[in-house]
Amino acid sequence: MTAADPPSARSAALARLRDTLAGLTTRAPAGGAGASIPVFADTSLIGAGLVRGALHEVCAATPGSGVAFAAILLARCGGQVLWISTEQESNLVWPPGLIPFGLAPENLILARAARWPEALWAMEEALRCPALGGAVLMAGAGQGLDLTATRRLHLAAEAGGVFGLLLRPDGTAGASAARTRWHIAPLSSDAAPRWRLTLLRQRGGAPAGPWNVSFEATTGSLRLEAGSA
Amino acid sequence: MRLARRYLAVHLPFWAAEHLRQSRPDLPADTPLALWARQGARRLLVALDHQAAAAGLEPGQALADAEALLPDLQVLPAMPEASAAGLRDLALWAQRFTPISAALPPDGLLLDITGCDHLFGGEAALLAQLTANLAEAGLSAQGAIASAAASAMALARVRRDAPIIAAGSEEKAVAPLPLGTALRLPCAMVEDLARLGLRVIGDVLRQPRAPLARRFGAPLLDALDAATGRRAPPITPIAAPPDLSVTRALPEPILTAEAIAALLDRLLVALCARLGRAGLGARRLCLTAWRVDGTEQRLMIGTGAPNRDPAHLARLFAEPMASLAPELGFERFTLHALATDPMGAEGQGALPMGAAPRPDGVLAQLLDRLGQRLRLARPAPQPSHWPEKQWRAAAPHEAPIATPPGWGVRAAPVLLRRRPEVVEVTASASAAPIALRWRGRVYPLTRAEGPLRLEPEWWHGGALPPARDYHRVQLASGERLWLCHAGGRWVVQGDLP
Repeated sequence: MTAADPPSARSAALARLRDTLAGLTTRAPAGGAGASIPVFADTSLIGAGLVRGALHEVCAATPGSGVAFAAILLARCGGQVLWISTEQESNLVWPPGLIPFGLAPENLILARAARWPEALWAMEEALRCPALGGAVLMAGAGQGLDLTATRRLHLAAEAGGVFGLLLRPDGTAGASAARTRWHIAPLSSDAAPRWRLTLLRQRGGAPAGPWNVSFEATTGSLRLEAGSA
Repeated sequence: MRLARRYLAVHLPFWAAEHLRQSRPDLPADTPLALWARQGARRLLVALDHQAAAAGLEPGQALADAEALLPDLQVLPAMPEASAAGLRDLALWAQRFTPISAALPPDGLLLDITGCDHLFGGEAALLAQLTANLAEAGLSAQGAIASAAASAMALARVRRDAPIIAAGSEEKAVAPLPLGTALRLPCAMVEDLARLGLRVIGDVLRQPRAPLARRFGAPLLDALDAATGRRAPPITPIAAPPDLSVTRALPEPILTAEAIAALLDRLLVALCARLGRAGLGARRLCLTAWRVDGTEQRLMIGTGAPNRDPAHLARLFAEPMASLAPELGFERFTLHALATDPMGAEGQGALPMGAAPRPDGVLAQLLDRLGQRLRLARPAPQPSHWPEKQWRAAAPHEAPIATPPGWGVRAAPVLLRRRPEVVEVTASASAAPIALRWRGRVYPLTRAEGPLRLEPEWWHGGALPPARDYHRVQLASGERLWLCHAGGRWVVQGDLP
C-alpha cells in the first residue's frame, strides 16, 4: 500500500485486513450468527452486537446505572442468569427492580461468595456451563482482577458459549482480556433513566461513542438520542 | 393342598402410654399415667397404662373426672404420630421372627409366621419368646396364633392365655368373644346389637345374614367373615428401609489423595447402585474416614436435587477432600446417605450412550457444585410492600415461582443497601429535599420526586415501626438515589437506575 492509493481503496484494504485479523484472533461464536446480543441500533460493534461466548466489561460511574445496563444485556441473552457478588459488597441486588429492564426474577439465580477467589471460581464454573444464558460478576474496588484472571474467564466463556459480564466500578479497570469494555454514566432526566454510554475498547475494532441513550420501558429497548453519537 | 398360613397377632393394650414412658425415663414408674387428646372443647383420656386401668379409669373419660378420681395421676397430651411411628419400628423389630410383619395401628402387630416357627422351637415357644422380649422392653403384650389374621387379632385382643388355634377351628374359637373388644366395631353398632340380645360373636353368627346386612350394612359382615377365617383380607407387610451405607475396611492404611479418591469412587458406585435399586437419589452424603490412631474425620456434601450419578457426586466431594488429614493413613471408610429423595429412572441411563444430557440436569449439577461453596438463592415474591421484605431467598433447585404482575414496580430501586447510610438532608417548607450531605460532602439536588409513603404492616400486630416516606432524588452528576425518611431520620436506602 502506498500513499498514492485513493482513500476508498485504502479503507477497503483496511477492512479486509481487519476481517482477516478478527478471524485469526477470535473463534466463531458458539451459537452461530444469531447469537450476538444487540445493544441498540447503530453501534459500531463488530458483528452488530455483543458476542455470546465471550467476556465483556461494564465500568459504571454509579452502581445503579451499571446494574441496570447489566440487567438489560442479560435479559437479552435469554435463559437462566447467574448473578454473583461477594459478601463484602455493600449493596444487594433488588430483583423486583430488574423487572422493568426485562430480567424476570424467574430467570435469576443470586450467588453470594464469602471471599473474592470463590466468586472468581464460581464465575469461571458458570461460564463453562452451556445451560446458563449469562453470568455477571460484581467486582468491588479493591479486588484482584488482572489480565490472567480475565483471560481465564474469557476462555471459559468461549468454551461454554455463555455471555459473561464483569461489572466494575469506574476507574478500577486495568488491563483485561475482555472482548469489549463499556463505560456508563447517568445523565439527568425527568422520567425514564438516561445514560451516557461509551464503548471504551473492543477487540478487533475501534472505540466508539459516547452515545446518549434513554431506556424505554414500554418497548424494553435503548433509544439513541438524536445527535449524540 | 395349600399349606395353611399361620398368623401371630400381638395386642399391646397399653402401647401409647408405655411407648411414651420409654422415651421419657424421667416419669416416675410407680404412678399411673394417662394420655389425653382434645375432642372439640373437651379433653378426654385416650390411652392409659396398666396402673391407671387397674385404678378403674377408662379411655373416653373426661380428663377432669379422671384427675378427680385419681389425684396422683400423671397426664400428658397424646402423640398419635409418634406412637404410630413407634409401632412401625416395633413391626420392623419383629422381622427377626419372620420376614413378613405388619403394624396394625393403633396397638396391634401382625406376623405371618408360616414356616418360621420351627426355628424357635414351635409356635408356642415363638409366641412366648416374643412376649417375653416385649415384656423386657416394658411393653405389656397379649398374643394369639391362628390361620386367619383377623381371628388371631380378635383372640389377642380378648384372651390373655396366648391361645394357639389349629387351622379350621377359628370359628369355634372366636364364637365366645365379645363383639366390641374383639372386632373393634363402632360403639353405636355394638349397642344396637346388644339391644337385640347379640353380645358375642357366636350370637351374631347364628343370625340369618341377609337381615343383618340390611340392618347393619356390609362392615359388620366383613368383620365377621374375616374373624372366622371365611375371607382373608390382605395384610400390608412393612418393608425395612434400604441400608444406604457402604463400608470398606482396608488391609493397609492409605494416605495419598489418589488412593482416597479411587476408594471414594468405588464406594460411590456401590452406594449409587443401592440407591438405584431403592429408587432413591441422594440429597446429603457423609463420608467418614477412620484413621489408624482411632480418630475419625467426616466430610459432608449436599445436592439440590436427588442424584445418584457417581461421577457428579465425586466432583462434589473433590472440594472437601482437600481438608482430610491422613497423617499415618486411613484404614476404614464409610459412605452414608443421610438424606434421600425418591428419584425415578429417567435421566439416568435412559439416554443412549453419547447423547447430551438434558440442560436442566447440567444446570442442576452446576448449582450443586456452586452450592458447596457459595450461597445460592432464587428470588421468590413475598406478600409485603416493605422493600427489604418484598422477596425471600428460595432454594435454587426449586421451580421458579411466577412473579405476580406489578410486583415491586412502584419503588424500583435496582440495588438496596445492606445497611442504609444515614445522611443529612435540607428540606424545603413542604418537606421536599433540596440538598444532601453525604459522605462528608454537600450535594445540591437537581430533582426530587416523592414522597411515596409506606405504612407499617399493622396486620402483623406487635410494635409498629414508623411509616416511611420514600423520595427519588437526583444529584447534579446525574446519580439517582432512593432516600427514606422515617422517624425524623434520612437514610440512603438504595440506588436507582
